[in-house]
Amino acid sequence: MKIHETVKDGVTIIKLGGKLISGPELVELKTAFQNTVNQDRHRKVLLDLGDVSWMDSSGLGVIVSGHTTIRRAGGEMKILNATKKIHELFIITKLITVFETFHSEAEALASFRDKA
Amino acid sequence: MKPVTVSVPSLEVFLEPLQVFVQRVGAVAGVEEDELTSLSIAVIEIVKNGMEHGNGMDGDKPVSIRMEVLPGRLQIQVEDQGSWVPGEQIGYKPAEGEEIFSDRGRGILIARNLARWVEFGLTEDGRTQATLVWPLT
Repeated sequence: MKIHETVKDGVTIIKLGGKLISGPELVELKTAFQNTVNQDRHRKVLLDLGDVSWMDSSGLGVIVSGHTTIRRAGGEMKILNATKKIHELFIITKLITVFETFHSEAEALASFRDKA
Repeated sequence: MKPVTVSVPSLEVFLEPLQVFVQRVGAVAGVEEDELTSLSIAVIEIVKNGMEHGNGMDGDKPVSIRMEVLPGRLQIQVEDQGSWVPGEQIGYKPAEGEEIFSDRGRGILIARNLARWVEFGLTEDGRTQATLVWPLT
């Protein structure tokens, strides 16, 4: 799994790549979510899943955990570029009702501004 | 294709190579290319349950996976070393109410929605056995 962070318009964009499968790498992702809160800067997080090739319930669990961590700190996390397979997992687990999802980065960033 | 059986220790590090293995066997068995990812997700979810609930993530306790082509379907049997009763896990509804914010407990829900059929039972010697059925066209 690869994790790459950038900041645009006051939003931390966390771009993931590869497989989100059980193991130490998921701890790394959990830490990345925690860091956005600890650093007390951008609690607006856009999670880009466009390059994620495989994900199971463990990956979903870490994303939900990150959502909870960020929400409790007064922030918000949204999903960008979920593939068809990953979108299906969000529907099965009804997490589609928890997360706003986008396929355009510009629209996703604008949605954060709209709520500012 | 003759039945293929593989056994892995109950350690997370074996999940990724097992995922690749399941997809390759699935491809040889005739599972549609765009369904291979879903197949491996469903199987890995069941294997993880066996590792955790049956074997307590004990690396000395294996989970075995048997994949067999039957008329019109691929059958996958997953056996662990425990005799856990999956009823509680099956009845758990992670997508309902506040449980939706839980960071775990979605595995069986996902497997049941991706596979055509998932059932749990016991082997003759009392170990937990899960059976998944994947249709072949």
